[in-house]
Amino acid sequence: MKTKKVAAILLAAVLALAACGSDDDEGAGTDEGGGASLEAPPADTEATLRVWLNGPDTPDEMIDMAKETFKEQYPDVTVEVERQEWDGIVDRLTNVLPTEDSPDIVEMGNTQAQAFEAAGALVDLSSARDELGGDDLVDSLVEAGTYDGSFYGVPYYGGARIVVYRKDLFEASGLSIPTTMDEFVAAGKKLQADNAATPNFSGIYFPGRNWQATLSFIWDAGGDIAVNEDGEWVGELDSPESVAGLETVQDIMLNANQAPADTDDAEDFLAFCNGEVGMLMGPGWKMGQITGEDGCPGKYDAVLGAFPLPGSDGEVAPSFLGGSNLGISAESQNPGLALAFLKVLTDNPYQTAFAENGLIPVRKSLLGEVQGDEAAEAQAEAAQITRFVPSSENWAEVESGTILHDMGAAIAGGADVQEEATRANDAVVAILNGN
Amino acid sequence: MTAVLSAEGTGTPPVLPDSRRAGRSRRPRPARSRAGLLPYLLLVPALAALGAGLGYPMVRLVVMSTQEFGLRQQFGAPAPYVGLDNFAEIFGDPYFWDVLRRSLVFCALNVVLTLVLGTLVAQLLARLGTVMRTGLSVALLFAWATPALTATIVWQWIFDARYGVVNWLLTRLGGDFEGHSWLSQPLSFFFVGTLIVVWMGVPFVAFTLYAGMTQIPNEVMEAAAIDGAGAWARFRDVTWPALKPLFIVLAALSTVWDLRVFTQIFVLQQAGGITRETNTLGVYAYRTSAGNDFGLGAAIALVMVGITLLATLFHLRQMFRQEEV
Repeated sequence: MKTKKVAAILLAAVLALAACGSDDDEGAGTDEGGGASLEAPPADTEATLRVWLNGPDTPDEMIDMAKETFKEQYPDVTVEVERQEWDGIVDRLTNVLPTEDSPDIVEMGNTQAQAFEAAGALVDLSSARDELGGDDLVDSLVEAGTYDGSFYGVPYYGGARIVVYRKDLFEASGLSIPTTMDEFVAAGKKLQADNAATPNFSGIYFPGRNWQATLSFIWDAGGDIAVNEDGEWVGELDSPESVAGLETVQDIMLNANQAPADTDDAEDFLAFCNGEVGMLMGPGWKMGQITGEDGCPGKYDAVLGAFPLPGSDGEVAPSFLGGSNLGISAESQNPGLALAFLKVLTDNPYQTAFAENGLIPVRKSLLGEVQGDEAAEAQAEAAQITRFVPSSENWAEVESGTILHDMGAAIAGGADVQEEATRANDAVVAILNGN
Repeated sequence: MTAVLSAEGTGTPPVLPDSRRAGRSRRPRPARSRAGLLPYLLLVPALAALGAGLGYPMVRLVVMSTQEFGLRQQFGAPAPYVGLDNFAEIFGDPYFWDVLRRSLVFCALNVVLTLVLGTLVAQLLARLGTVMRTGLSVALLFAWATPALTATIVWQWIFDARYGVVNWLLTRLGGDFEGHSWLSQPLSFFFVGTLIVVWMGVPFVAFTLYAGMTQIPNEVMEAAAIDGAGAWARFRDVTWPALKPLFIVLAALSTVWDLRVFTQIFVLQQAGGITRETNTLGVYAYRTSAGNDFGLGAAIALVMVGITLLATLFHLRQMFRQEEV
């Protein structure tokens, strides 16, 4: 009996401690955005501004340029730029944005931004929209950054998808740049046959989880992921058109490709550098990655080329418009400073540098500046017909739920296309409709 | 013989087999009543620290499992109370039962393998000369000390479809393993997972059992050999009873760890395979939460806690039964 009494006292003590601890957490998120306004602070402010940029997309030189420009306005402010991996970024942002450790500025993929905007994670920038570019900003990227009529996510850069290829292998096989989808698939198979002696060679490197590339084939065949009818999302992945597109994908994956069925395209440049790739599909900066220090500088520089994925009708295939939006965290202590830095990032000099690096600037007036190498030209062409994923706050969940990844991996492994498409379709629709 | 040795691990004085017939009680009376509350008071600081560190998240977990907690609630919106709906949802979902079955099978397999291999390695350690024993111990220590994430990444490279050593070796030996993917089929995926988990679990089991074995006096082993017992009989009748209490503790710990396994499976899933077919409980709870349904994820986590508690209770019962022999 004594044991029971003591046990009861100890239990009560533990619960009391737990209750004491639970107070502050609920309050954190309900404050109105860090409390401060978006007014530009005085030029002699001392502070540290933390910025999260994702992936290898933004070249280091551009970051240095932005920091220098900003230093002229605010000499006593230190800007710390941290690079994050794209993989798992939604989880990381979900965990860090509501806390005191939150960075001031975060970069989100345009397909992910809506979820955070809807959740109240970002500061409302509607009042500063004109200073950030106003109507000069590319429409579809502004759309990704707008929720419920308010502007939260400033477009950062855009990217269309292109095909990077080996000119020397094309010459050896007597191929010219394909102008239709059928020619593209045939070229891939010819490369595969002609290079069978090279171990692990892929005519078209197509790992199963590369869903952004898969989307182009679905759209080209006339299908889609889902459409919104009167507020309900209706799935289209299992429609005959989508399945036809997926069957083209499976044809390539099984007959012109030896990329592992269940990986994504993050390391395709490694395979390319190993001489195992004839063509690969990727974002505009892929060429830069292959010739950059992470890839194999100097090895294939002279024989690299790019073209936009051709569609079945002779025009370019609809390509997935990638890109990022920048937002100011609601927990930021320096929203005014953050806004000033955002202005540097959306201003003409910085965006022109993007254009020169083969990425699509977010200012319509600068779209003509996209110049330089084949990658940039290919992108500019591909950007003429771009499509977007379902514009829903629940889309980020579809991405983190690896639904399209699993579908791609199964199809690459030879599974029945209709079955996989139906399964993925049901899962996607359930998430989009909030179930 | 057996009676003398079974008392080794428990600290109570060895009991002669005919004590029951003599009518004496088997254990000295506990001195608890004389010490009063002091032992419990001494426990309070440790319990307080545990309570704050573990208790608070546990309480939040239980509360969250009864709420509908999504992305908006992360950023401050209030969370509606939904009672046991989350639990009803998971128990009604056939996919959850798939995941559960998969986790239990994986756990059972890993526990058995870890314990059997650990015992064998411990026996080996006992029989080696000093130099080799030191070498083996160091190797085991390295395996044990490597962080789970690092170990999984290295093992993943070893089994990489295109550039991995295993495929290279098997191809050299004549098999057709060029570009063979070890992670795309669930069975093969869990083969690699088991390999990693067992590799990381064996050192602890081996060292603990080896320590237990050193407690067995040499004279007893020699006496058994003189009496004509072969190696297997010596193990079964001398070593095993001495190790049993230790073994039960190790089994309990292994069960808890292998049911909760997260890092190895999660990292392997990033590297390949079809996520849907390789989710175990721990990973499934994480993915559900990462899919912005924290209430559901909390419910799954609680189910996992429940199962591990049951397993631990079962093992504890075994241990108490041990002590009474």
